[in-house]
Amino acid sequence: MSRKTDIVVIGGGVIGASITYYLSKRGKKVILVEKKDFAFGSSGACDQMIFLQTKNPGIHLELAIESKKMYKNLEKELNHPIEFQTIGGMVLIETEDQMRVMKEFVKRQKETGLNVEILDIKDGSKIQEGLSPDLVETTYSPDDAHVNSLELIKGYIKKAVTFGTEVLVNTEVIGIRTKNGKVKGVETTKGTIGCEVLVNAAGSWAPVIGEMIGLDLPIRPRRGQIILTEEVPPYIKHDIISANYITAKYSLDRSFDNDVLGKLGVGLAISQNHRGNIFIGATREFAGYNTETTREGIRRILKHAGKLIPGIVNFNIIRTFAGLRPYTPDGLPIIGYVDEVEGFFIAAGHEGDGICLSPVTGKIVSELIIDGKTFIDAKLLNLNRFRHLT
Amino acid sequence: MSHEKNVCICRCEEVTEGEILRAIEEGARTVKGIKIRTQATMGLCQGRTCRRLIVNILSKHVDINDISKLEIGIRVPVRTIKIKNFIYDEGKGYE
Repeated sequence: MSRKTDIVVIGGGVIGASITYYLSKRGKKVILVEKKDFAFGSSGACDQMIFLQTKNPGIHLELAIESKKMYKNLEKELNHPIEFQTIGGMVLIETEDQMRVMKEFVKRQKETGLNVEILDIKDGSKIQEGLSPDLVETTYSPDDAHVNSLELIKGYIKKAVTFGTEVLVNTEVIGIRTKNGKVKGVETTKGTIGCEVLVNAAGSWAPVIGEMIGLDLPIRPRRGQIILTEEVPPYIKHDIISANYITAKYSLDRSFDNDVLGKLGVGLAISQNHRGNIFIGATREFAGYNTETTREGIRRILKHAGKLIPGIVNFNIIRTFAGLRPYTPDGLPIIGYVDEVEGFFIAAGHEGDGICLSPVTGKIVSELIIDGKTFIDAKLLNLNRFRHLT
Repeated sequence: MSHEKNVCICRCEEVTEGEILRAIEEGARTVKGIKIRTQATMGLCQGRTCRRLIVNILSKHVDINDISKLEIGIRVPVRTIKIKNFIYDEGKGYE
């Protein structure tokens, strides 16, 4: 089997699905190639948050704010129930040390344009019942939101198919065809697909595709274990994270060997979905491509959750699961063409922000490929920013 | 749709045999692929009854001799458990 298309997108997760949708919407002929099945990797093993408050002020937060704007119209655009809801979010602050970091962080977020404030626990308890009285303070932003990630991916793909996109599942990319330094096609287990442009959107598996043209991508799988409770009446009224998620994520050394969150183990995130299940996550561990859940990891998350919201320990859990977040050293995704081979585009490395940043990533990728420019300084996301490291 | 196609396979999520056959038609070749398309096995019991029925239906379309390829996805906890019972330690309590 041999066929031809304008663009091949590799990876049936939320990023590949979004890119496929935005490219096909602009009239490009796209084939999406997925090794296993759509939503089979990290995008089908995550929580549901579109949490603006966890984003570093500057380009990271700007991307999230733009993405959130795009989300508002997405359900209608895709004509699919993606369960998007702007529910508001809180960052619970446990210590004075965290408080100092958060004050500065919130100030800079406000300057970037985020609507966020700091409340004392008495006021915080008015908008979220059951908070531990031992907490120091909490932030609140009405702008944080969530979405059903599985339905989101289905929505992108379904709509892209109506624009003529072909989706090949159970199809693994085994090689990249190049000629004179240019992409000519993609070799798969179901034949060759001729194309001049390919998008490597394989998330934690993006380095495997990169290797096919000799690239050593600075992306590593980082396991996030998550727990799901049974369906309960509305209890978690806003999406909640603990401040150590932020203080550890941004104020400390993030290199592979010295990553503090990796050692600390948990960046707590709690949210309740449409049906009433509560997601409680997540560990952040470097465990290779292992997606098992561990008793130690699950207990550590649940103990932390019980410390911040004591009543939560009375709920029943029905499942644990784990996904591999594609980590990069600076916490930003890698988006753009590579210098080595013309037509080889990367859009991967979103770590835990894939769901949040999927619309804006689709927008940036489609604009860079079709128009050659986009609304932000694309150099900040290009792979070249890591060149000095290798 | 014939009478058999309306047989309920996943009671928690109310998924019928017809919906599972349609998921296979769409390309699902694993229990996980059926789960993502239909929501089957995602309810309160986490597929304790229906995953065997789903494997049975799948067996007409894929080779089930290598059961590891079916991505059946059984995860901890095996039965629903209260969080406080899971994190409690003798002598240390919940901390």
